[in-house]
Parts: sequence; structure tokens; C-alpha cells
Amino acid sequence: MTGRTLLKYVRVYIDGYDMSGYSRSVGPLAWEFEEVDLTCPMADAAKGYLPGQPTITPTELNGVFDNTATSGLHAVASVQNDDRVVLVAIGDRAAPVAGNPAFMGEFMQGGYHAEEDAGAVVAKVPFGPWEGSSLIDYGQPWGTLAHPNAAADSDGSDSDDFQDYGDSDGSAFGGYMVWHVTAGDGTATITMEHSTTEDDSDAAAISGLTTGEIDCSSVQTGVAVTTSRTQQINQYTRWQISMNTATSVTFALGFVRARY
Amino acid sequence: MAAQTGRTVSKFLNLVIADSTNTLRDIGVQSLSVCGVTYEEQDLTVFQDAVMGALPNMPDAPIEFTTIFDTTAAQAASGSGVAPALSGSHTVLAPLNGAMTPRTIDVQMGIRHTWETGEPQFGLTATDTSGYIMTQYNPNFDDQTVAVKFVLHPGSSLPAWGTAAEAAS
Repeated sequence: MTGRTLLKYVRVYIDGYDMSGYSRSVGPLAWEFEEVDLTCPMADAAKGYLPGQPTITPTELNGVFDNTATSGLHAVASVQNDDRVVLVAIGDRAAPVAGNPAFMGEFMQGGYHAEEDAGAVVAKVPFGPWEGSSLIDYGQPWGTLAHPNAAADSDGSDSDDFQDYGDSDGSAFGGYMVWHVTAGDGTATITMEHSTTEDDSDAAAISGLTTGEIDCSSVQTGVAVTTSRTQQINQYTRWQISMNTATSVTFALGFVRARY
Repeated sequence: MAAQTGRTVSKFLNLVIADSTNTLRDIGVQSLSVCGVTYEEQDLTVFQDAVMGALPNMPDAPIEFTTIFDTTAAQAASGSGVAPALSGSHTVLAPLNGAMTPRTIDVQMGIRHTWETGEPQFGLTATDTSGYIMTQYNPNFDDQTVAVKFVLHPGSSLPAWGTAAEAAS
């Protein structure tokens, strides 16, 4: 399903926790380029600009103050000044599913503020800009939800899970993935694969896009980038999971195939 | 129907943008804040003048609007005299933000009906060195809006008001 949607179909994940149940809003999901003025007034007909470096930030999460142990907003966000792995999935008039748009990255958390708002005690989490190390080569926060926050079993991914980018040449600008493991019972490795067809036998791992083996019996989160910034990523992509001791892993996975 | 003259309302405004494949797409508009040419006012006044005086310096023509976040698949723009065939804003605009290739924009003002050739439009047909580039894509899911801004590529021709549709390139 495509088209217009509503806030009630948006989900937000922070550092491995689903914050949707504590959030009243998140955003604006800003992606704004510096406009570098390159006008030559003696010759140009009008002012002209090129995009410089973008500022990217989820701006602010506005939630209800809730001190539920471990997974509540207060427990997760009250330790400020940390870099936060954020994934905002935009469902199309339903809970988000694979292929829906997603805004993702790693961002500085600029604070944690409790406030009163019309009788409600709320908490605001301001975010700063793009975290300055792991994703510094990528200035593009919009990709797709490769896997919604749901359980995967040992069968892993299949041909139904391919996402089609519609370009037979693929792209040569690399990409990155963002993961939030919210539940599980053992160790597993989550990866991204690509393919030139929607055939299982053609799928191959995208170099670099792996969680490595992680213990899913506790909450896990992180980002991974392709081995090369100019790495080829083919027309079709999908998630994959390799179970080790785990029998079920619940995770949300976002993927950005860079456009330039 | 023939081109009309007179006053109009916003439901007959259409925004056409060339997407990342250089195909024209109709994009829904929720608000349009800037559309037209603005000249820098260069103050040239000296003490002895009887009145403040200025000359128009370099013109600028950013286009800023808000749209509704929409993932509808891209479809061809409708063209003159045909109701807009809206493509998804996210589908068309997200790939354009920050890209260096100039693109066509055409803001069409239908006069009390769907825009058709002969009615006002403002825009610029892109070339390799002239056209619009996108610098802002800010969705806000409090109200599902997306704030968007385009500015001119360096060396661009000056966009102008006219009555014929802009081409993709």
C-alpha cells in the first residue's frame, strides 16, 4: 500500500528499544543542505547555489514521562549526551512493513527534559546532528525498512523479501544498515544481501553489512556500512539472518542504498 | 476548454518537477510560500540625496513549499488541460535532495480550472548547467507535511513567468 499516511502508523526505535508506545511525536526529520552561493554577478543571470554539507537530525522526540524499568523512555533516554541509533519507520496507513520508507542514522542526544504540558508530565529528547564517526561518509538518512520489528525464525529470508529498486544497473555508492534487536533467545548474525534477480540462488551478502554475531538474548543495536563507499549494490536487496544458538530473534532493520 | 483570464483559487495550482530520471511529475502542494523572482535592493544613497535610492542587483528565485508525505508510485505528469496526476512526494523528492543535477520546475496557475497552455506559469526548463537543485527535505509527522526548498543552480537562466509548460530538459 502506498500513498498518504498518519502519525499513528509511524514507529520510532532508539538503541534497541521500541519507543513508539512512549512517544507523542518525533521530528521534523530534517535533511537540509547548506546553500553555497556560487554566483558570479558580472556574468550570471541569477543567483546560483550548490548544496554543501547537509544537517541531518530527527530534531526532537516528544514523549510521555514514563519510568518503566529498562525499556521506558526515562530509563532509555535519561542518560544524555550519548550517541543514539535511531530508526523512524513510516507505515503506509498500517503498521510499518518491509519496503516502507524509513529515516535512520546515529545522532547525538542533546539532552533530556521533563516538562508539564496541559497537566501531562512529558519528556523531551532533543537530538543533535549526525554522529561524527561511523556514518560520516553518508549524508542520506532516508532508506527503507528492510525488516519490521517482528520475530524471525531459522528459515531466514526468502524470495518474497526482496526489495526492487527498479534499476538493472544497481548503484555504486555503497550504503548502510541500522538494526535494533528488541528480543531474542540466543546468538545470531543479521546481514543484508543483494541480487540481480529475485532468485534465492543469486543472492549474495553485501560486504560490510553485517551485525557480526550478536547475543540477542539482550537488547542490541548498531549501524554497519558497506566495506567501500563506492560498493556496487544490485537491483534487489533483502535481509538475512543466520541463527547460531538463537531460535527466534525480534528485530527492526533499516537499510539505505546511497543515491550519490 | 480555452485558456481563461481573471482570478483563481489555489485548488487549480499545479506543481510540476522533473524527477531523478528527468521525467516530469505532478506533486501535491499544501502551501506555497515563495514563487517568483526577488531582486537584491542595492542601496546607493549618499548623504546629499533627497531620498533613499537603490538599484536592483542580482535576482534570486528560490521555490519553497510544503507537501504531504506520500509514497505513491511515480506517474507521468498530466500535461495541459488534464487534471494533475499526482506522484508521491517522498517517491519523487527524496532522491533529488542534495543531488547536483539541475532539474525543471514549473508552477502552473490554472485560472478557475485545471491549468492549460495560455494560462500563467512560473518556472525554468533545465539544461546541464541551468535549473533547480533541492536543498531541503524536512518531513514533520505531527501534521504529515514536508517542507521543501529548491534554489537555482549556479549559472542558471533566470526563471520567468510565461504561459507555456516547461519541458523536462
